[in-house]
Amino acid sequence: MTAPDRARAPINRRALGRALSRIADASVAEALAVLEGEARASSDGWRCGITGPAGVGKSSLVGRFVNARLAHKRRVGVVAIDPSSPYTQGAILGDRIRIDAHGDDAELFVRSLASRRARDGLADNIANVLALLEAHDFDDVIVETVGAGQSQYEVRELVDTLVVVLMPGAGDMVQAVKAGILETGDIYVINKADRPGAKEMVAEIASVLRHPEGPEAWLPPVVLVSALSGDGIAELDVAAQAHRAWRAVHQDRQAALVQRRRAHVRALVARRLAEVIEASEAGLWDADVASAYHAVVAGLAYAAER
Amino acid sequence: MTGILKGKRILIAKPGLDGHDVGAKVIALALRDAGAEVIYTGLRKTPDYIARVAAEENVDAVGLSILSGSHLELVKLTAEALKREHADDVALFVGGTIPRGDWDGLKASGVDCVFDSEMSLEQVVAEVARRLA
Repeated sequence: MTAPDRARAPINRRALGRALSRIADASVAEALAVLEGEARASSDGWRCGITGPAGVGKSSLVGRFVNARLAHKRRVGVVAIDPSSPYTQGAILGDRIRIDAHGDDAELFVRSLASRRARDGLADNIANVLALLEAHDFDDVIVETVGAGQSQYEVRELVDTLVVVLMPGAGDMVQAVKAGILETGDIYVINKADRPGAKEMVAEIASVLRHPEGPEAWLPPVVLVSALSGDGIAELDVAAQAHRAWRAVHQDRQAALVQRRRAHVRALVARRLAEVIEASEAGLWDADVASAYHAVVAGLAYAAER
Repeated sequence: MTGILKGKRILIAKPGLDGHDVGAKVIALALRDAGAEVIYTGLRKTPDYIARVAAEENVDAVGLSILSGSHLELVKLTAEALKREHADDVALFVGGTIPRGDWDGLKASGVDCVFDSEMSLEQVVAEVARRLA
């Protein structure tokens, strides 16, 4: 899965940085006009999502994993998402401290995004952002979600491989099952391998994973990792390559495309709804809930017609 | 102050070897509370790294926090690195322990604004917003 050895123009960081801002800042109408979401530049491209609760070490894991991908001579783009304040819209974007500590790899590009209006652990126009990176000749596009516990469904539909990161001692199994995290992942990582209970957690997660149907089905591996020391990163890389290879053979491309479209449309509608609510007259909220609801829905329909 | 930096992206970076980032973090939080999206790089970054991040993140401004006394040299190197990344149109701010006598020298290197500990957070945020308006 090493990328073809060909002469490549260096990444134009300034131009790509600006292009990403244009698409991330685009209104729904502008994003629809671009609609890069379905174009894929390279058939060799691979999208990987990294998700999991806050504090499990997602960014440190991404930093280690990126180095493993770069070692395969692949050009890697990372999108790291942090939450926006719902009150001020401000955000501290601090993931890249742990992702590109040295920051001198010519084949790595990291972009931090604030979640802005998105409430699904992702960010406004994320589908377009990922497509833009692919169109810029990145082999691997890795997206790190906000550290929410119960929001992996949206990212699931945007990526080829979803890595769910957990750690020992952070909530019991009931919480994990409730959060639906044991249904969505292609690979499970138990990070902070040095902590007590880590090995037991690997066995526990493996025992309760949803069992796939059929002999050809993908059984999600559970990988013990220490992002701190780097132990287990090679195993994670092997698991990721295995999932990619499995997908190439067994995945229903049409079904995946339909899922991806549905997620994209859902995100656009949610975003448009936020725009309509923001643009609503303050007086709207003096009415009762039912009246305000109908006014907002009418506003949404009106906006969609234009 | 609320919202006066909404939609702005600002990189807060610490070049050089001093290990004190309380000031940088306080400024980062004040900018965030004014609505900015603040990228924070952590300690001991090279001018080349800071310029690369500024380009990748397409920030409106770079704020350097320098307490080591090497501000003249570090600012000059950072301004040159930004130029190499074609990002010299990004606003450049410097804060820290900077003697007033050095301010003109910093501005000659391309710094838009110098902040010192005499200024309140409100003044810093207002001045950043004014420069980015």
